[in-house]
Amino acid sequence: MLTFKMCMLGSFSVGKTSLVRRFVTSIFSEKYQTSIGVKVDKKIVRVQDQDVTLVLWDIYGEDAFQKLQMSYLRGMSGYFMVADGTRHQTVDVALALEQKVTEAMGRIPFVFLLNKCDLVDQWEIEPETEKNAAAHGLGALRTSAKTGEGVDEAFLRLALAMLPK
Amino acid sequence: MRPVETNPPPFEMPEQAQRRAPLGQPQETPKDDNHALEELRHLIVAPEREGIAEISSRLDNLERRAEDVSSVVVEAIQMRREHDGDRALADALGPTIEDTLRDSVRKHPQVLADALFPVMGPAIRKSITETLRSMLESFNEALEHSLSLQGIQWRMEALRTGKPFAEVVLMHSLLYRVEEIFLIHKETGLVLNHLTAPAVAAKDADMVAGMLSAIKQFAHDGLNADREELLGKIGMTGFDLWVEDSPHAIIAAVIRGHAPEDFRIRMKEVLEKTEEQFSFAFEDFKGDAGPFRAAEDRLAPLLEAQLREGQERGPKRKPRALIAVSCVVLLGLAAWMTYVTLAVHKWTAFANGLKEHSGIVITSFDKENGRYQIRGFRDPLAEDPAALLAKEGFVARDAEFHLKPFYSMEDSMVLKRAKLLLAPPAGVKLSMKDGKLSADGVASPEWIARLQDRAPWIAGVTDLDITRLQNSEVIALDRTKTAIESIVLVFPAGKAVLEPGEEATLASAQQDIGNLMVQASRANVRVQVELIGHTDSTGLEAAHLPLSKQRADAILSRLTRAGVKPSAFRPRGVGTSQPLHSEDTEEGRRLNRSVTFHVDIEPASPAN
Repeated sequence: MLTFKMCMLGSFSVGKTSLVRRFVTSIFSEKYQTSIGVKVDKKIVRVQDQDVTLVLWDIYGEDAFQKLQMSYLRGMSGYFMVADGTRHQTVDVALALEQKVTEAMGRIPFVFLLNKCDLVDQWEIEPETEKNAAAHGLGALRTSAKTGEGVDEAFLRLALAMLPK
Repeated sequence: MRPVETNPPPFEMPEQAQRRAPLGQPQETPKDDNHALEELRHLIVAPEREGIAEISSRLDNLERRAEDVSSVVVEAIQMRREHDGDRALADALGPTIEDTLRDSVRKHPQVLADALFPVMGPAIRKSITETLRSMLESFNEALEHSLSLQGIQWRMEALRTGKPFAEVVLMHSLLYRVEEIFLIHKETGLVLNHLTAPAVAAKDADMVAGMLSAIKQFAHDGLNADREELLGKIGMTGFDLWVEDSPHAIIAAVIRGHAPEDFRIRMKEVLEKTEEQFSFAFEDFKGDAGPFRAAEDRLAPLLEAQLREGQERGPKRKPRALIAVSCVVLLGLAAWMTYVTLAVHKWTAFANGLKEHSGIVITSFDKENGRYQIRGFRDPLAEDPAALLAKEGFVARDAEFHLKPFYSMEDSMVLKRAKLLLAPPAGVKLSMKDGKLSADGVASPEWIARLQDRAPWIAGVTDLDITRLQNSEVIALDRTKTAIESIVLVFPAGKAVLEPGEEATLASAQQDIGNLMVQASRANVRVQVELIGHTDSTGLEAAHLPLSKQRADAILSRLTRAGVKPSAFRPRGVGTSQPLHSEDTEEGRRLNRSVTFHVDIEPASPAN
């Protein structure tokens, strides 16, 4: 079975952890994330008739107090860049993060996730911004930790891009 | 040496053929010469030609080639084995041999069975004997431990932790055991190979390996970036995690107990060899751990274990010593059981005793994890069970109380609550019966008012009885009234002016009346003071009544002058109709010439 390392990146409290909580296998408590800045989970997806193990590094969100530990990204084959659709500035943080990651590690497949899409009436992202985000990496997906919308597709899309060509 | 020929042999190079052409064509050589040359050539190169023809035919002939190889194949294999170890050869031959064996077993099982029979018999016997021996040994060990003091301790531990006894014995007898080995790809933190010792329940290796490299990364980045080998060991309760890393890989070992330092050297050696063997695979790693399955042979020897010294079978002990030890153990066991039984009995008695305490309700009493768990309810005013525990001589940490607060409706608890909320003065005694709160004694009107106000709000008080509760002001008022009514102000015969010696009595009467007025207003009652004038029976009958009235008026005017409110007084003359004494004596007659007081106390009208 093929195994890949992938990361979850994004601003503080965009719902990264809740996004995966329902969809992955976990054995570690979430307190690791606040203490060492990362928690490792696992997700098995089936792509092109084979099971692929994704070892998922859920990295503590970047904010004014905590900078992204770039060394945690070493060796990853892909990542999710998560933003909160109800807070416009998280998209800006995500775009800046993406640039930083690309500068440090080169082009790595990623999916742009606009999370909390169940909160339609609080949606703050302009169609223009969404289109812009979709032009990056493997495109953008609206996701919701609450309804599960888009989550499986996001994993599939990323896993497919990570498979050796 | 190369043969020279007119017909270029098949193996001659084209340039050599060209070089010969200019020699042969321009010169007209006689046939004899030609023949001689041929002869010479034959003489010189014939042996070689034959040799070459022989070699050529050997190469073309499959049968002969096989014959040639067969003569050196054994030596070749031997040489190869000596040259670079047995691995490569075994790897090359392994699959074929496996296939052959598989085929052979499928097609001719009997042949193989016959061939193996002489070795299988003893092998099976040996295996059975070995299994039996180890079973017996572990049975002996278990028996021995179950009778020793340590064995009992271990049994207790097994009971406490819920682990099988065998596991507890193993855990204590082991000096150390390497339970898991991880081979981790350093860059990605992905697990390449993972081995576990028998009967070890391993967690998900992918996640453990990932987290381990995250922690390593964290320690490296966050604590000390200069030292690459900073994180060699992570200690946890019950086991250690040893980590070694090379440029491409990390080996981590989960070790229960205390492994010797030379185990780390072995880890390093294995890591170096693995790094060497798989250096290309490490660099080309793209998520497929398949190529690293072969590393198992290298990693497996690291899953080692060592028993504690002294756990090995020693020389047989003398039975006498064993009997003595058994006796001591049995006695100890009996003493211990007695102790436990007594302790349980004492605890049960305590728990039952708790039930008798007002304001405490015990719903359950069990022993969990070695501690008594006492559950129920407790009124905040009830006695503290922990204090009771200490008073009874128990160790406080042997018990845990889970008592939820509640309001007890027991009379004694309601009484406690009432006392706390009402703070009765010293002269008042509160009592409770069937929800009725009774107050007995003397209290200030303020407190009585507070009692009436608050009592209905106290949980558990349904009725209030204050019939036996006296108002302290009323009592004081009564006392003053009695004092005033005992005063007799004496007048000389036929006069309405006080006897000269009576001024002091009047002053005291004024004082008492002043007190009376103050107390009446405090007790919230209205007082009316009657001034009753008397005469003796001497003199004219008709003069008695007016004189007595004059005497009462005279006292009123004196009191009014001293500042009392006239409306509270009613002067009245009764003449001789209410004599105070018989007039048989002069003193009796004297006392009848007087003014006395009568005090009426009435509840204050609502308007006041």
